[in-house]
Amino acid sequence: MPTSASSTSSNRTEVLISLLRSESKEVKLKALREVKNQIIGNRTKKLSYIKLGAVPKILEILSSSDDSESLILIQSAATIGSFACGVDVGVKAVLDSGAFPHLIRLLSHLDDKVVDAGARSLKMIYQSKLAPKYEFHKAENMAFLLSLLNSENENVTELGASIITHSCETTAEQKALCEAGALSRLLILLKGSLNQREASLDSLAAMTENNSEVIAKFVGLNSGRALNSLTELMKDRYPRTRLLASVCLIVIDHTSPNYLQDIGIKTKLIMILIELLEEPGRVGDEVPFALANLIADKEDLQQIAFEVNALDKLCSFLHQDTLLTKRLQGILLAIAELCSRLENCRARFMSMQALNLVTNALTHDCAEVRTAACICMRSVTRSVKNLSAGHYLDDMIVTPLVHLLHDQCTSVQVAALKTISNIVVDFTNRKSVFIQCGGLKDLVLLSKSMDSTLRLNSVWALRNLMFLAESSNKERIVSEITASTLTSLVCDPEPFIQEQALALVRNLVDGGISCIEHVFVEGGIIINAVGRQVRNASKSEVCIQGIYILGNISTGSESHKEAVMHQLLQEAPSVLIKFLKCSDARLRVAAIWCVVNLTYPGGPGSSVRVARLRDSGIISQIKCMVNDPCLDAKFRVRTALEQCKPVLGCLGVKLSATTEQGHF
Amino acid sequence: MPVRVVESSSSSAPSQVSGSSPGHALPPACTLLSVGQAFAGTQNVSSSQKDEAWRVNVRIQGCDLDHGYLCGTMEALNVPLADTPVVTFWEGEVVDTKNYTFFTGKWEATSEDDIRHWSKFPSFVPFLSQVEVDGGKSLDLSNCPYIFMRWKEQYFVNVGPDCGLTIAGFYYVCFSCIDGTINGFYYDPNSSPFQKLELKSTNEGRSGFSFSSYELQ
Repeated sequence: MPTSASSTSSNRTEVLISLLRSESKEVKLKALREVKNQIIGNRTKKLSYIKLGAVPKILEILSSSDDSESLILIQSAATIGSFACGVDVGVKAVLDSGAFPHLIRLLSHLDDKVVDAGARSLKMIYQSKLAPKYEFHKAENMAFLLSLLNSENENVTELGASIITHSCETTAEQKALCEAGALSRLLILLKGSLNQREASLDSLAAMTENNSEVIAKFVGLNSGRALNSLTELMKDRYPRTRLLASVCLIVIDHTSPNYLQDIGIKTKLIMILIELLEEPGRVGDEVPFALANLIADKEDLQQIAFEVNALDKLCSFLHQDTLLTKRLQGILLAIAELCSRLENCRARFMSMQALNLVTNALTHDCAEVRTAACICMRSVTRSVKNLSAGHYLDDMIVTPLVHLLHDQCTSVQVAALKTISNIVVDFTNRKSVFIQCGGLKDLVLLSKSMDSTLRLNSVWALRNLMFLAESSNKERIVSEITASTLTSLVCDPEPFIQEQALALVRNLVDGGISCIEHVFVEGGIIINAVGRQVRNASKSEVCIQGIYILGNISTGSESHKEAVMHQLLQEAPSVLIKFLKCSDARLRVAAIWCVVNLTYPGGPGSSVRVARLRDSGIISQIKCMVNDPCLDAKFRVRTALEQCKPVLGCLGVKLSATTEQGHF
Repeated sequence: MPVRVVESSSSSAPSQVSGSSPGHALPPACTLLSVGQAFAGTQNVSSSQKDEAWRVNVRIQGCDLDHGYLCGTMEALNVPLADTPVVTFWEGEVVDTKNYTFFTGKWEATSEDDIRHWSKFPSFVPFLSQVEVDGGKSLDLSNCPYIFMRWKEQYFVNVGPDCGLTIAGFYYVCFSCIDGTINGFYYDPNSSPFQKLELKSTNEGRSGFSFSSYELQ
């Protein structure tokens, strides 16, 4: 009877597993070879063998064979290595079987081929994040590692480098490895075989990352020529070597930019990375991340990258339907960095119609891609020119972004919130597009989250949504948030959230008397909370927002101004005096504006307020500021004093003629 | 409007200063010139045939003094032949000697055009001799109570580009940090020369000055 291919294959798998238990060494050896050949590069086969318990059986062969059985040792080690290659489930099965110490034992075998097989397998394991962390601080471990790096055997030296790449994470570990002499050995390996070179470059990046001390030692090696070795390898014929050498130089540049001041090297680096974008496989996947890293926060490098058409090239990849997840993520992040500061990059991006492609990525299956798409869009939407043109508040963009506020992954939600914060600034009276698609409700919901990052970014978005919003939209926003939630946010335990919540209230009360009234609802819980923060907060940014709220309220009616006086003068000395004397010019300016508004001429109560401000010592403090080093403060002081001057001249009469009326 | 004949002249140095030299003292930041602030006034568009002024409102929408950048909208209210007020978006270059000098170096403005326009502002006079030498690159403007800028309209916000109006020119602008007044002169070789823009900081009917803010992420 004919059988299907798969059942034949599954029978053969079971047969082979049973043969691994054979008494005959020849049969075992043959079975090992066949298993190994079947699983190389075949994930499905690996998984089916793992499921049938092949790994522990092979380990049994490895551990029970004596040193004379080289062929069996080689085949069993190689098969174990194959299981661990590129499949985390395989690595886990190998580690769970207890293979690690047996593979280590092989490294001291007399037969070089056995050593090779052991080293190769261990290397496979160390390429996975699941590999156990190597403890460098133990003296015997460090000595063993150095012996690996010093070995004549190529695979063993690569293993040593792989261990460093995998396990060197902390400054202390970097330093310990450096002191043990690993750096100079790695430098020698740069002149070795292709594999040794690449393993060494990986390790050098791990050892030097964020460690200026180790970088200084490295740069000083070979009479100061170590850096040249890297710049030479940047031009190597092998793409992966070029990439890894570039990554090392980027790592060095980030921590110790003095060593790479020559803009020529950086231009070269950018050119090499852009060229490598075309590479298939791992190199092409990793290049955009390296490029993003290189130009991050560096406007000059972003400009250079732009001039050599990096943006056009990156955007051209977005048109490819077959782009793999990792590469797509990297490309979005590289575009994000390019557009993070330069308006010409954003303009070019918009002109290439790339926004739609990034919008599509907002609904990608992979959370990392969704996050990267949000980050990319965040950079692009920093363009006030486009915000003013209303290019972003569009259903096509807003709907998927709002949808991401419900994403299961918090990092996606945060990234979406940050992008939304930019988009809702909009100057074209289209904020209702966002409100109508449910965005406002979702922001308010997230502003009550237990997660402080979600809370911060949702309040930030609400603050920007409130900026110059029409009265009707302000009404909708404030009724959705409610006075009690707004009060809680103003009093949030996190100062950054307090600041954003206060800025939100500041925008709410910038818009005339009806807007100001919102902070007096429910017995004035909002203005009382604002007053408490102004009087008690220690962070300047919180006080600045708070005092601007009081300043804005002071542009309202007489009773509004009185309410502000009440908040400012309820303690002696007044908190205003503290702000006017503060070394932070922004706070002095905000405080003076508040005085300017409280003494604004024309209102029936202004003369009384001038008198009270004088009695509280505020006017004499302002008089001391006529030559304030901050020009803005100096000119506002002049305005305030000019307004007070006529009142102070005939104060007694006006004081008796005015009755105070206020909210309190 | 009569078209002004452009005098031939050697091209002036580009206004964009390459790189940023450390120690440059930027003009002072001024709250009256911050985002959200509004200004109202007129632009005189008189010519030999007619005497005319358009009411103008300006609102600041973006401000990035590190890059010498300012932007906003300008609304012209009683434009003849236009049914609605015409709103344009403009971008400003702040003369900070770090990012930009007094020399425009583009938009068909020669250094002679620059000096002729800047000299219309009394507050510019103390800087004239140095500007003639190097565009003012070596000046310290950190204590100057005036902020000099160029405003260039980039696009029409609420009407199409075929509305019959032009935004080909740009404004030489002087902002007073003292009282928030803005004076400007429109420059377009094809339009009447020295059209004057006069704006005052407005509190939009409030009993004092109010300030909003946003922060991009």
